[in-house]
Amino acid sequence: MDTVRHEAHDVAVATPGGKNTRRRPAPLTQVPSRYAVLVVWAAMVAVYCLTESSLFPHTGTFQTIFGSQQPLVFMTMALMCTIVVGEFVDLSVPAVFGFGATILPVLVVNHGWNVWPAAIVAFAACIAVGALNGFLVVKLGVNTIVVTLGMSTLLEGISLWMSDLNTISGLPSGFQKLALFDIGGLPISFYYGVILVLGFGYLLAFTPLGRHMRFVGASREVSRLSGVRVDRIRFGSFVFAGLLSGLGSIIAVAAIGGYNATTSDSYLLPVFAAVFLSTAIFEPGRFNPLGTLVGIYFLETGILGLQLLGLQSWVSQVFYGGILVIAVTISTLLHRRTS
Amino acid sequence: MSVSHAEAAQTERRLEVAHVSKTFGPARVLRDIGLHIEPGELHGLVGQNGCGKSTLVKILTGIYTPDPGGAIAVDGRPLSLPVRPLDARAAGLSVVHQNLGLVDDRTVWENVRLGRFRAAGRFSRRIDGRAEREAVEAVFDRLGARVDVNERVGELSAEDRAAVAIARAMQDHQPGGGLIIFDESTRAMGKEARGRFFGLVRSVIDGGASVLMISHQLEEVVEVTDRVTVLRDGQVVETGIPTKEIDEAGLTRLMLGRHLVTHDRVDSHARDEPAAQVRNLAVRSVRGLDIDMKKGEIVGLTGLVGSGAVAVAEAIGGARQARAGELTVNGRKLSLKPRRDSTSEFIAAGIAFVAERRLEQGLAAELSVSQNLTLPRVRARGSRMRIGGGWQAEETAAMIKKLDIKPPDPDKAVGTMSGGNQQKVLLGKWLAGKPDLLVLHEPTQAVDVGARHDIIEAIREAARDGCGVLISSVDAADLAVLCDRVLVFRDGAVVAELTGELTQDDIIHATFASPDSRGPDFERTVR
Repeated sequence: MDTVRHEAHDVAVATPGGKNTRRRPAPLTQVPSRYAVLVVWAAMVAVYCLTESSLFPHTGTFQTIFGSQQPLVFMTMALMCTIVVGEFVDLSVPAVFGFGATILPVLVVNHGWNVWPAAIVAFAACIAVGALNGFLVVKLGVNTIVVTLGMSTLLEGISLWMSDLNTISGLPSGFQKLALFDIGGLPISFYYGVILVLGFGYLLAFTPLGRHMRFVGASREVSRLSGVRVDRIRFGSFVFAGLLSGLGSIIAVAAIGGYNATTSDSYLLPVFAAVFLSTAIFEPGRFNPLGTLVGIYFLETGILGLQLLGLQSWVSQVFYGGILVIAVTISTLLHRRTS
Repeated sequence: MSVSHAEAAQTERRLEVAHVSKTFGPARVLRDIGLHIEPGELHGLVGQNGCGKSTLVKILTGIYTPDPGGAIAVDGRPLSLPVRPLDARAAGLSVVHQNLGLVDDRTVWENVRLGRFRAAGRFSRRIDGRAEREAVEAVFDRLGARVDVNERVGELSAEDRAAVAIARAMQDHQPGGGLIIFDESTRAMGKEARGRFFGLVRSVIDGGASVLMISHQLEEVVEVTDRVTVLRDGQVVETGIPTKEIDEAGLTRLMLGRHLVTHDRVDSHARDEPAAQVRNLAVRSVRGLDIDMKKGEIVGLTGLVGSGAVAVAEAIGGARQARAGELTVNGRKLSLKPRRDSTSEFIAAGIAFVAERRLEQGLAAELSVSQNLTLPRVRARGSRMRIGGGWQAEETAAMIKKLDIKPPDPDKAVGTMSGGNQQKVLLGKWLAGKPDLLVLHEPTQAVDVGARHDIIEAIREAARDGCGVLISSVDAADLAVLCDRVLVFRDGAVVAELTGELTQDDIIHATFASPDSRGPDFERTVR
């Protein structure tokens, strides 16, 4: 038998020839695709700096771009939780966020609660909604789109009712420090977002839980037969998505000083745009937290620049929608060519 | 088509492929392929995984564009390249894929006519069900198969499903014309179904059509085809060898480019210590089954579809919920009955289950070799906060070496590897955990000769190390070579227990023992 093994080995060494080179993507074709958005971002900044030299190149612009997107960072990470485990369409993320962001000021301003217990109630409510989503989708097997679309509409309705369609504001000013404490010219909430994203990225890349989540997203049956507790991980993802939405809502309310429940809707497309854009950044074809963070600030840079040019607010919709389709199309094509 | 076409079919070659090459990036996957198929010929195409067979089929069906300079002609008429699907259909060129490409919850006639539905009238867009059904019945008449066209395909037997796929492939053929390519279509069929399948293929050939059959089953190729072409590393080694003049050993030699690897039985490694006990197992049609396995013993489970052999293996591996039963491994008792979220208890008890459908149950195609290989152990071997890279790299490198996984790249996505190498990754995923009980379902399915050799060696080595091995398979050759003992199932009961010097003949005989299960005469089982 020994001699046979050797022969088998010899042949295997002799046969692959060109196959190795064919299967391994050449580094040259990989590099531009995963960093393409960074290059476009830099080019965009350069163009804005040249065309709007009086408006764009200011620290104020920088602060606006990096200091204002925290709600989006938290919501995208919430969406990422369920997307990674293979549930592609949790449409309820912005509504859960809005739900928490409405409960908090309503309890404080309309009902005279202290701000901290109110924050805890808002936070707990968001987690409970996540758990309910998870129960319906994972345990009862109801379609994710149906559950989250319904939940989204329901929560938005409740939020509008609670707030009486008004902007609720007037939170104690000390509470603002939670989000707006200045560190190096940027509010502390920017750093919360960065820490969250890095933590999520670490979780996915280096921990057993993250590896299990990736496998559940790739194939439930493979995961189940490999000893991964598939349903527990899927349920946990929905709960965690609720948790992140809740956390984000508290920080957003602290930053704004109140909330208008009618604005929740407008987050839906940006959240999906940034998360899907991540499949074109850093890890082509794969949803990843760091790519999402870059995507958020990339999109905001583009929109702010256009608005400074004097274009109206419709610009953001055109930009979010258009970039999403273009970026993901390019990423898909590149991914297909290299694999 | 036209009269001249039919005339041409009498004199011209059915398929002529000349100087076809295919390059992906820097690599040439096919080099100057040339082969021809005569009218009414059953032509075999063999080669190891990754030799270029699938690429050639994809060129013939227009999925890939060949490099400039090649030519493909049907009945003497050159096809424009890349092949356009409608041209291929008009020329009578069709493919039956590995999984037959059927939609289970649709009827037979819908499956056959899929892609060809005609509307009832000039203004009506409604499908004319009656006309469609009649057309399909006419095809089955030509084929000489009796299948109820209104039946749902999911409810058909394996051979009827094959008949539906063949009917779909041949419906556009002109009388005396046409070419069907079977791309490992018999893979999922039992021996008996295979016999009937080749009966149908014969009737297609007798009608004047030609067949190109791609198969890993060399025995089948030698018995059934008229001539055979061998590919190796993207090149034609030899083409048009009459199968009367060559045997399996000769074909293997051509495929591998070296002397034949023979699999001799080796002495049993069974020791007198218990590895696993199954008690009172009830699953599917099986009830009250007991199995005792010794350390180092290799036990085979076999039987026809529905006999219960597969369900037993799946229940013991933790993949299927049993109605009752208890499994003891290493002194740990596991009930086989409860519904489980995952197989983690089985894995913790030292049981490994190598599933049959490797890309649905075994491996995540988009993730890397290393990630797939280490998955069952990331929790046990890593800390909560960090999986740790060292042991993963070590484990992956060890399995790549042990199983000779090609290419030896731990970061390669599993889905881009050849079937044989995927199977090796799947086996390595479980062997790396040093199981006490290894349950395998069709471990060498659709892998080439070289990979099969490596897999058989690895299974033997596991047994040598004291692991109890349970193999569920319909491949008598594998069972004969590997097993110390084979349990043959029929209708949920063990009808034979074969021990000692096993031969394929004995296993096949025991499996097909009932008198009415003999296939057509060219299914001569094994010499």
